[in-house]
Amino acid sequence: MSETRADRGRGAAVQTTGHAWDGDLQEFNNPLPRWWVWAFYATVLFAVVYWLFYPAWPVGEGYTKGPLNSITFEADGKTWTTHWNTRARLMRELKESPAAVRQRQYLEKVAAAGYDEILADPDMKGFAWSMAKGLFGDNCAPCHGSDGKGRIGLFPNLADDAWLWGGTVEDIETSIREGRRGFMPAFGEALGEAQLDDVAAFVLSLSGHEVDPAQAARGARIFRGDAGGCHYCHGMDGTGLKSQGAANLTDRIWTVAKVPASPSLEGKLEAVKRVVREGIRREMPAWKGRLDPVQIKLLTVYVHELGGGQ
Amino acid sequence: MVQSATAVEAQPYNYGIVRRFTIAALVWGVLGMLAGLYAALELSFPWLNLEIPELTFGRLRPVHTTLVIFGFGGSALFATSYYVVQRTCQARLASDALAGFTFWGWNAAVGLGALGYMLGITQSREYAEFEWPIDILITVVWVAYLYLYVATLKRRSQPHIYVANWFYLGFILATALLHVFNNLAIPVSLTKSYSLFAGVQDAMTQWWYGHNAVGFFLTAAFLGMMYYFVPKQAGRPVYSYRLSIIHFWALIFLYMWAGGHHLHWTALPDWTSTLAATFSVMLLLPSWGGMINGIMTLSGAWEKLRTDPVMLFLITGLSFYGMSTFEGPMMSLKSVNALSHYTDWTIGHVHSGALGWVAMITFGSLYHMVPRLWDARLYSTRLVYVHFWLATIGIVLYITAMWVAGIGQGLMLRGFDEYGNLAYSFIETVRFLHWPYVVRALGGAFFIAGVLVMVYNFWMTVAAAKREAAALEAKLAAKLAARG
Repeated sequence: MSETRADRGRGAAVQTTGHAWDGDLQEFNNPLPRWWVWAFYATVLFAVVYWLFYPAWPVGEGYTKGPLNSITFEADGKTWTTHWNTRARLMRELKESPAAVRQRQYLEKVAAAGYDEILADPDMKGFAWSMAKGLFGDNCAPCHGSDGKGRIGLFPNLADDAWLWGGTVEDIETSIREGRRGFMPAFGEALGEAQLDDVAAFVLSLSGHEVDPAQAARGARIFRGDAGGCHYCHGMDGTGLKSQGAANLTDRIWTVAKVPASPSLEGKLEAVKRVVREGIRREMPAWKGRLDPVQIKLLTVYVHELGGGQ
Repeated sequence: MVQSATAVEAQPYNYGIVRRFTIAALVWGVLGMLAGLYAALELSFPWLNLEIPELTFGRLRPVHTTLVIFGFGGSALFATSYYVVQRTCQARLASDALAGFTFWGWNAAVGLGALGYMLGITQSREYAEFEWPIDILITVVWVAYLYLYVATLKRRSQPHIYVANWFYLGFILATALLHVFNNLAIPVSLTKSYSLFAGVQDAMTQWWYGHNAVGFFLTAAFLGMMYYFVPKQAGRPVYSYRLSIIHFWALIFLYMWAGGHHLHWTALPDWTSTLAATFSVMLLLPSWGGMINGIMTLSGAWEKLRTDPVMLFLITGLSFYGMSTFEGPMMSLKSVNALSHYTDWTIGHVHSGALGWVAMITFGSLYHMVPRLWDARLYSTRLVYVHFWLATIGIVLYITAMWVAGIGQGLMLRGFDEYGNLAYSFIETVRFLHWPYVVRALGGAFFIAGVLVMVYNFWMTVAAAKREAAALEAKLAAKLAARG
């Protein structure tokens, strides 16, 4: 630093500092650009003013609070005024921001209303759809997809008209609240390959596929008799049973067997056989405790509207 | 430690170590940037993770950052600092053996660290992922570096220490301090340790380190590079000695306070946040001091920008430096940060500094230095232009894509609809990012293509130099034989 003073002493007449390194490396001694100096002072001034409005410098056990600023918020039914701090600002925003106020009004309205009222009122239905879309995206989409179409073989499609566990708002709410356990035993060992072929042919015939009639007839006997016992859950006519989450096999909607993916009949038969052979074990977790009752209510409306709710 | 006269000592400067570090910088640069490009493509096309744990984004990302910051940037700093300190002091490095040790130690640390990350061995501290054995190796290397630098400065045959050396020395000292304190940890096995700090204090220590790694490693040190290579390449004196002193001390003093701005709106106390934001704002002009000094050095010789592509690299680097040191203080304001934090705006900001400033000033310096190191003429000036435009287009694509991605995602995450609900779910913001991510990867590809052009140019330069030397020797041998 003494260097600077010495240079100043020599006056502005000196163009370079008079040193040279590595042959030709030199330095002019131009003064600091005035705009640079004033701009630097301006940032310092900005900082000092900022410190007067916000907590800034640690002093002893505490800190300077920003004496020219304060913030008021409500909590525990009381009104508090304190120096500006992020916690208070969060409390205030949660209570007073326009979005929070609007959302709270809607939430109170929906909490007090029944499903019939919500579904009949476009405004409440619109709110439910808007809020549940986010809830669905953050909680349900990882399995069912952000469009709710699920994934054949893994997660049911919620956007169609078929409902394994029922499509009324009550059924849907139960599914979300309590979770579901989808189970079908594996018939691979009990039936053997030939009989699996027959059952698969019969199952495909239920949804109008052109299969070998003789084979389908043999399959029907297994399906409806005690050899397979499929009818206990899927019913004699194959339309399924809601209480067991057993699929309707007559509607051309496939939730586990990857039938639509195969263009050939052989492929479709193999897809059905695989499910019959290996069975099904899948589970949707219970969401009570993770989502509050109003959130479950909103999701119920959303899922109901997403597919053809009953 | 100072060696007595040997055969090697007879040469005025130790260029061997500078050459080795230059090659290391190029090798790590190419590898690190390829890792970065692959990681960027994984974000656009997640199937590229290929279900191979070693290649997943989470492991590849620290490989990228470590190889480019410490491998490429670090080696370039070792190379240029050894070159600059010798030439501006007119003294040979104090110890060739110690210089060799810094080379092998540093490169072993970078290589082992990167391999370890792929195997899942990491401290999980951003830019300080090295586990404790490598941390100790780095500390030893760094002490050797510091000793070597100071000992060489002491041997100078010049009364004054040139400004570039202050910046290099500031960088070496600060990095030692940061590295040691951030890595205080208790080892539980050879590959695992736990930080000495906990909770928000741990986070604050980490970002005190992280921010000053940017400040001293990626800013001050590269300003040292700038202070030598810009006036040298321009053939003109530095604009203002006074400015260099003032902005050096202001930068050194102010940077240390600013790390907390990485932790706005977290468990960090409000007062710490405020101090960090205000010191970041006060940092703007001291940062710009370096830019002014570099760019104004060219004042009166602007035509050089039309004729000298190396100058183009150096000055463009300074311009990006000015831009990102403006963007940084702006992003450190709490209200701006509320939008930008946790979005790709941050990634864009880092790369406008890393690609625009650090890499461009390094390329310019290498183009100046390599022909002198190998005593050769640069193979192709036209290829330097090609490199310049590939790099510039790459950077512009990269940072604009990240502005779109970051600001877009930030706005989506805070968007409300007419019911007072959040307008978007998280997954929708991820889907939105796809195209900006593709463009970013494209920008990265441009940038790497430029680096490969540079490596080819250097390869041909050195090959030609070797051919010429061999031809000269053969001529000499023939002459001697004819005489005999």
